[in-house]
Amino acid sequence: MSNFEPEIVAFCCHYCAYTAADMAGTRRISYPSNVKIIRVPCTGKVDAIHLMKALEKGADGVYVAGCLDGDCHFKNGNLRATAHVEKIKKVLEDLGWEPERVAMMYFSAGMGEQFAQGAKEFTEKIKSLGPSPASQTVGKAV
Amino acid sequence: MQKIKQDEKRVLVIGGGVGGIKAALDLSESRKQVLLIDSDYAIGGLMTQLDRTFPTNNCDLCTVSPHLSATTREKFLQISPMTELTSLSGEAGNFTATLNTAPRFIDIDKCTACGECLKKFPEAVRFTPGLDPRAPTCMRYPQATPYAYSIDMEKIDDVEALKAVCKAGAIVPDDSEQQIQVNVASVVLSVGAELFNPGVLDNFGGGKFDNVVPGLEYERIMSASGPFQGNLVRKSDQQRPKKVAWIQCVGSRGINRHDVSYCSSVCCMYALKEAMVTKERFGNDIETTIFFMDMRTFGKDYEPYYNRAKEDFGIRLIRCRPHSIIELPDKSLEITYAKEDLSLMEKEQFDMVVLSTGFRPSQKTIDLAGTLGIDLTEHNFAKSGTMDPVTTSKDGVYVCGVFESPKDIPETLVQASAAASMAGTAVPSGEWVEDLSLYPPQRDVEGEDTKIGVFVVDCDGEIGQSLDIDKILENAKTNPDVAVAEAFNLSCSFESMEKIEGLIKEQKLNRVVIGSGSPRIQEIMFQDMLRRAGLNPYLLELVNLRDQNAWAHNDAPAKSLEKAFQLVQSGISGVRKAKPLAENMLPTSQNALVVGGGVTGMTSALELADQGTLTYLVEKAPVLGGQALNLSQTIEGDDVAAFVKDLVNKVSAHENIKVFIDAVIAEHKGVPGKFTTGVKIGARTEQIDHGVTILATGATPNRPAMYGLGELDKVMTQLDLDAILENDESKIKAMGQLVMIQCAGSREADNPNCSRICCQAAVKNALRLLDVNPDLEIFVLYRDIRTYGFQEDYYKTARDKGVKFIRFDLEHRPVVREEAGKTIVRAHDFILGQDIEIEADCVALSTGLVANTETNKELCGLFNLPKTEDGFFLEDHVKLKPVDMALRGFFVAGTAHSPKVIRESITQAHAVAGRARTMLANKEITLGAAFATVDPVKCAVCLICVRACPYDVPFINTERHSEIDPAKCRGCGICVAECPAKAIQLRAWEDDQILAKLDGLFERV
Repeated sequence: MSNFEPEIVAFCCHYCAYTAADMAGTRRISYPSNVKIIRVPCTGKVDAIHLMKALEKGADGVYVAGCLDGDCHFKNGNLRATAHVEKIKKVLEDLGWEPERVAMMYFSAGMGEQFAQGAKEFTEKIKSLGPSPASQTVGKAV
Repeated sequence: MQKIKQDEKRVLVIGGGVGGIKAALDLSESRKQVLLIDSDYAIGGLMTQLDRTFPTNNCDLCTVSPHLSATTREKFLQISPMTELTSLSGEAGNFTATLNTAPRFIDIDKCTACGECLKKFPEAVRFTPGLDPRAPTCMRYPQATPYAYSIDMEKIDDVEALKAVCKAGAIVPDDSEQQIQVNVASVVLSVGAELFNPGVLDNFGGGKFDNVVPGLEYERIMSASGPFQGNLVRKSDQQRPKKVAWIQCVGSRGINRHDVSYCSSVCCMYALKEAMVTKERFGNDIETTIFFMDMRTFGKDYEPYYNRAKEDFGIRLIRCRPHSIIELPDKSLEITYAKEDLSLMEKEQFDMVVLSTGFRPSQKTIDLAGTLGIDLTEHNFAKSGTMDPVTTSKDGVYVCGVFESPKDIPETLVQASAAASMAGTAVPSGEWVEDLSLYPPQRDVEGEDTKIGVFVVDCDGEIGQSLDIDKILENAKTNPDVAVAEAFNLSCSFESMEKIEGLIKEQKLNRVVIGSGSPRIQEIMFQDMLRRAGLNPYLLELVNLRDQNAWAHNDAPAKSLEKAFQLVQSGISGVRKAKPLAENMLPTSQNALVVGGGVTGMTSALELADQGTLTYLVEKAPVLGGQALNLSQTIEGDDVAAFVKDLVNKVSAHENIKVFIDAVIAEHKGVPGKFTTGVKIGARTEQIDHGVTILATGATPNRPAMYGLGELDKVMTQLDLDAILENDESKIKAMGQLVMIQCAGSREADNPNCSRICCQAAVKNALRLLDVNPDLEIFVLYRDIRTYGFQEDYYKTARDKGVKFIRFDLEHRPVVREEAGKTIVRAHDFILGQDIEIEADCVALSTGLVANTETNKELCGLFNLPKTEDGFFLEDHVKLKPVDMALRGFFVAGTAHSPKVIRESITQAHAVAGRARTMLANKEITLGAAFATVDPVKCAVCLICVRACPYDVPFINTERHSEIDPAKCRGCGICVAECPAKAIQLRAWEDDQILAKLDGLFERV
């Protein structure tokens, strides 16, 4: 499984994490291309269903990246997102999956470097976990 | 040739570089008539010749004008290239300008820029050959930045042959010079400067040795549109250099023949940029060396850029001004230089040498100053006000950019906005009409089969250099509903936009996917394009191929391309679910809130109030004035106290300004354009309505516990020393030796940025000390002296007067101790190679400014604004929107933005007032279409949305279901995610759109 390239979806909020990802690009700080970003206005918009659907459709890992604690553009959307992620972790555990396949991260708009670092670490983590049980059953064309 | 309307009163902007463009855009955005002239046949100026610009290392020119629709531009802005001012008569408010327009010999309206004439008559046709194609296209004005050629008729022998070659019949052989007179209320000068020609020096071989090039030529060599198509090679043998050296301060900061004494301010940053881009694009194995005297990275967040160059890129830095360059037989170059720690000369070979040359005002500019009747400085730059840097010696004539003093792009843009703001006060804003009515009607796409256009819009190879765009398009075309898939270059050019517009109309496309830069910056621009094409702007999906793919995965091209396929497929899949949406318009409040009653806040408030805006000025302290109250004079010798007193009087007496002192911001609610803020004054809270907000909360003088500050009696800050100078000269007269220590608390691990003001403060105080006590011996311990621009002259004067400057670095810090009642400073002298001890009667620490961390944190929380890592407010775009904040209607100025001297703060104060006017002049603001809607059938009236909404918007209406007021909804979507019945959807971000994007990512086509 050494050359396993996981599919990773990152839901990033427009104001902080998505800007941080742009910042990483602007500064040419590289991170694994496994990470594909879906922009959302606020991480509070990311439904538990979106996380489950991402895993069902073929992601080996999903994370939500919002603003730092106290910095949410919409007051507390990032904390709600954290709660959704926690909930999904429990669901995964009940299913016998590794709860680490979902995660919550926080970045301010200026944290390009940390964004890249987070992407790297999460990708490494998922690589070590191997393909998700769902993607194995749907016989992903990799 | 477009006819210049002669009757209307307007602002005349001279010079179509980035500063002039910005000034003209700001004015037209404020609905004021403006005429932009440039002597060149296309606007764009110097910036368009640069390969990449710092600190973002990309072009980004497209971000200058996102809030200005093409139609508004056409209404208020006229551009006249090949035009020069020949005289200016009359007075401020009522000038008559005589303008001469040179013949182009081409009818712009007919010219299609096919290039046939250029092919047949390459010597006579002008089209910026070899230079950047962005020049004529960067601003997207079909009639303005003419994307058309111009002919040098003198070089044409056979006019008939030329006419025959032009299929459009655009050649006008009898075109002649036109002279017109226009009524002008005020003038903005943004004519820039030339770059020093190093060929006149005899020691560096500039213009003589093939492989010695000035900085700008190196940019051209690296640029994709340059002479070698972006391939970095030596001129002599077309081989890639393995060792490149930069020599700083060529022609600047000198006393030799052809030198100027001032610092050009930008060369340190551009050399670092060129060295970093070289490594990044052409191989990390290329050794890059910069020879420098002082590294002047004094701008906002520039110091970390310098650190990155050293630490991450391994740029070699040698502190030395080399004596000369010798060309070797193989055309390599030998540099002889002295190392600080060695008494011997070193010789080293390089493949290529770049000379970092700075700005020089051109003769043409000097002549223009004569025509206008404005004074110049000893260096031939425009003489500007010492407190008001954009005013000239002539009333009604303003200056911005490099012609005022050497500066970089962000500072040029700040001055441009400031000059535009001040010049604009003489012209009334045009009547407001709803812009949307000026677009073609939107086509009804309901019931049509999906027909998608996929366009990859690159900018000068930023995407194409790392991703195979053809393959991306090929892949997109495998979708049966993708009708068109095409690539375009130059996202910022009107031509690409026009072509896409044409394709949308011709092919009756009803969905568009654009693969380009970040939607954060470009969405507004492409939405505007859809409107012009008669499509609803929400039938669009942007795919971030540049910032989040090409730039981020340089190390893995194959995987990066695979990701591009997935991202585009995700965009296609998502756009299928997009629906046409109506935007929510809201009338804006016409009042302004200025937070902070220092010099910056007061200046902004006055300028807004003078133009009839009711302005609330909130100051935390019991008096107005801010940090300027602790400052007695500027380096130029202005009396700060008198200036502040005058400002306070004007502000206090102004009928349109309401001042709150001892007041803080306590609460804040509303939507962009219409905010209500609670100002707490003692026990009472007053609610105020405002449309724009200016943050001018300043910064705090740093008092780090270093070098004995707070412990030893004789150790103080420069501000403390300033107070002694002002109040107790006898103390100064009694001193024998004084030591200043620079960068105290700045450029350190816990505060990495340079505080910008301290070098000039030290020089200023040293000169003042010597005025009082000429026998005083002054030692300045420094890391790099950063007296940028004309401050350099004061630095030189200080050295001439005997002030001793001794360098240190972090490994050799000075140590201050008290011994037997004496204060002793121990420092390492690199030139002597040993430690020295100085007995000091006073040790003045240059401690600089740090962010008002607590205040800024509180305000960022209340207003939902971002800040930098060191606690200053974070602007929307560091380079091109330096005073706008990410949230519309919020602006930042003065030291709340970053440390700066008082005149720079004042410039920003004018700039934000101008930027605020651009918003107030448009009486309505669009809040976009993203608001939440409730499906009454699904709503179970569970009240979860009512509780979840951070702004208390949802309520249960009389029909017993939840309802959301679109004018109040901020569009976060939290209620959508929380609603257990899935009865709420956020328009433009609906669940099926997000799920479709997921489908697209994992679909294999």
